Amino acid sequence: MAKNTESNVYTVLFATGMVVIVGALLAFLASSLKEKITENKRIEKQQNILYAMGVNENEPGSVTFVSKNIVGGEFSKYITKQLVITGTDAVEDENAYLIDLKKEEAAAKNTNYQRRLPLFIGNKDNIQYYIIPVRGKGLWDAIWGYVAIDNQLVVQGVYFDHAAETPGLGSNIKERFFMDDFKGEHFLDGDLFKGISVSKGNADPKNMDKTDFEVDAIAGSTITGDGLAAMLKKDLKLYLPYLKTLKQ
Amino acid sequence: MGLLSKKDLKLITDPLADNNPITIQVLGICSALAITAELKASIVMSVAVLFVMGLGNLTISLMRNIIPPKIRIIVQLIVVATLVIIVDLVLKAFAYELSKTLSVFVGLIITNCIIMGRFEAFALANGPIRSFIDGVGNALGYALILIIVGFFRELLGSGTLLGFKVLGDPIEKTGVYAFGYENNGFMLLAPMALITVGIIIWIQRSRNEALIEDN
Amino acid sequence: MEHLELFFKAIFIDNMVFATFLGMCSYLAVSKKVSTAVGLGAAVIFVMAITVPLNWLLDQYILQEGALSWLGEEYATYDLSFLSFIMFIATIATMVQLVEIIVEKFSPDLYNSLGIFLPLIAVNCAILGGSLFMQSREIESLDLAFNYGVSSGIGFFLAILAIAAIREKIRYSNVPAPLRGLGITFIITGLMAIGFMSFGGMLTGGEEEVAIEETASIETSVIVEKPTIEAEIIKVVDSVSVDELEIKE
Repeated sequence: MAKNTESNVYTVLFATGMVVIVGALLAFLASSLKEKITENKRIEKQQNILYAMGVNENEPGSVTFVSKNIVGGEFSKYITKQLVITGTDAVEDENAYLIDLKKEEAAAKNTNYQRRLPLFIGNKDNIQYYIIPVRGKGLWDAIWGYVAIDNQLVVQGVYFDHAAETPGLGSNIKERFFMDDFKGEHFLDGDLFKGISVSKGNADPKNMDKTDFEVDAIAGSTITGDGLAAMLKKDLKLYLPYLKTLKQ
Repeated sequence: MGLLSKKDLKLITDPLADNNPITIQVLGICSALAITAELKASIVMSVAVLFVMGLGNLTISLMRNIIPPKIRIIVQLIVVATLVIIVDLVLKAFAYELSKTLSVFVGLIITNCIIMGRFEAFALANGPIRSFIDGVGNALGYALILIIVGFFRELLGSGTLLGFKVLGDPIEKTGVYAFGYENNGFMLLAPMALITVGIIIWIQRSRNEALIEDN
Repeated sequence: MEHLELFFKAIFIDNMVFATFLGMCSYLAVSKKVSTAVGLGAAVIFVMAITVPLNWLLDQYILQEGALSWLGEEYATYDLSFLSFIMFIATIATMVQLVEIIVEKFSPDLYNSLGIFLPLIAVNCAILGGSLFMQSREIESLDLAFNYGVSSGIGFFLAILAIAAIREKIRYSNVPAPLRGLGITFIITGLMAIGFMSFGGMLTGGEEEVAIEETASIETSVIVEKPTIEAEIIKVVDSVSVDELEIKE
């Protein structure tokens, strides 16, 4: 047996066998675990949205979501309305948070397609929060997040996450010290849309100036920071027509 | 000696020093540079590699007599990739939080040439138990360098260790920052990882002159 | 223009070796002499030019969610993206082996100069990195994917050529004995990478100006659209509070 391993027939047979075994194993695992994985992702989305509007169990310095078991209840308690905005139309849809931004963005390349924009309206301690999902590219892979603003269009909280940014550098966008900087930040100058940039050496490391349209960058993660700023600019802009109606 | 014979023990101790995978064999450099800005990430990566190396070496060694030599590289790559993907899928389903932390490392582990390198150099020619020990030993040698580099980069770059502010608070100016000390943000950049590894090589070879190269 | 930007971006700003630190192992191991470095660099360009577009096709027509819809409507929901790692690796390893066989048969000269590097390439993480970046950066068309493959390869070629040339010269310098060989190469690479970081600002300068123009144009469009949306929103909110929830998928 061991002697024949050089022959072509054996090689082809071995390769075929290997492909079949590995393929079957992975396909079986992926399909049998798919439900659980989708469920986990759904829970995570709810946790993230709630986190952005300040519903979380943070201790000083930690990022802690409301726990898995109660997130469903908390989500329906705090999120009073979910809208899907298409063009000039806004329709309520309780599954708006499941809209896949990546697919919408890809579909919107076709100019005939009206992009669906999900927006979540939350209410906590009688303050209305408008939570906007955003998605963009970091250094290695996708980055995404949720931005909660109040009816004065001032950022009240954010949550950012990433697929594969460099640990210890770009991955710090999901750490408290970075996300907390966005609280109170403005992205409109009067009526002019500015976005929020992530800047190095802006002489404001404690982020005292909330109307400079920038937050302090993370050392060593320029590309992730630029990607994040570009993401905010790109996706917040889409909601401007709707947001302007709030600020009366 | 207990469980391990002297020869087997050498399989573990050699990669820690005189045959270190990073500083001597030049394997697995990419990941050593990418993730060592933080001590915690270094440790997580080390544990993940330890796991994959041990099991991967064991699997390849068990298969060594039936793998056709012509396609052995493809087979090796597929074995590693399958192992890693299975672990990733299972974690995603049953320990979602843990998988979020680890998902960043999945790609890095598959492309880590330290794993391929040991398959080629050791597992294809040796029995399963010795291969397993060799895998563990090399992973430990790899971990050693990662942790040293991670330690210095985090300490000098951010003034923290495992996230704790050991040097005081840079913004409130407490601890050593009160005396005018500043974090060296440069240490966080990947090029400094290269230079740190270069210095480790320097120290190692000054201590053991047999390792010095000709040019 | 898009092509030109991607080309320079892949070579200088996102240089495989100096910016993402992929392909380091072969970069360090095969850079003692310029002639061998050129061989490896050329082989990397060649293989990347083939595998990146090939993996792009795989990704678009087999792996992505909904990619199988060309087979018929019932396949549109399949999502095979969990297979992408394995498929990419298998493609690369297979292509490398195929290229080796073909080159050996038709051009023994080329084989003699490239041949020994081809097996090395299968384990070069820069190659897999190229395909994975192609996927995660959502490169849009086949020709852009080809461009990305070639230019990333050129980036690697430049890097390995540069370090090999330096290493040939450094033999005449008085390097401290324990640093000779690997140690000094690490340190030089670090310094080169710092140098390459200065390319980072190369393509961002123009972008800012565009951004200002963009904001101006939105401003006007918002004012024009405002009244109609306002009316719509109020209408919708009213109808929601009075009637039952109207859920549209």
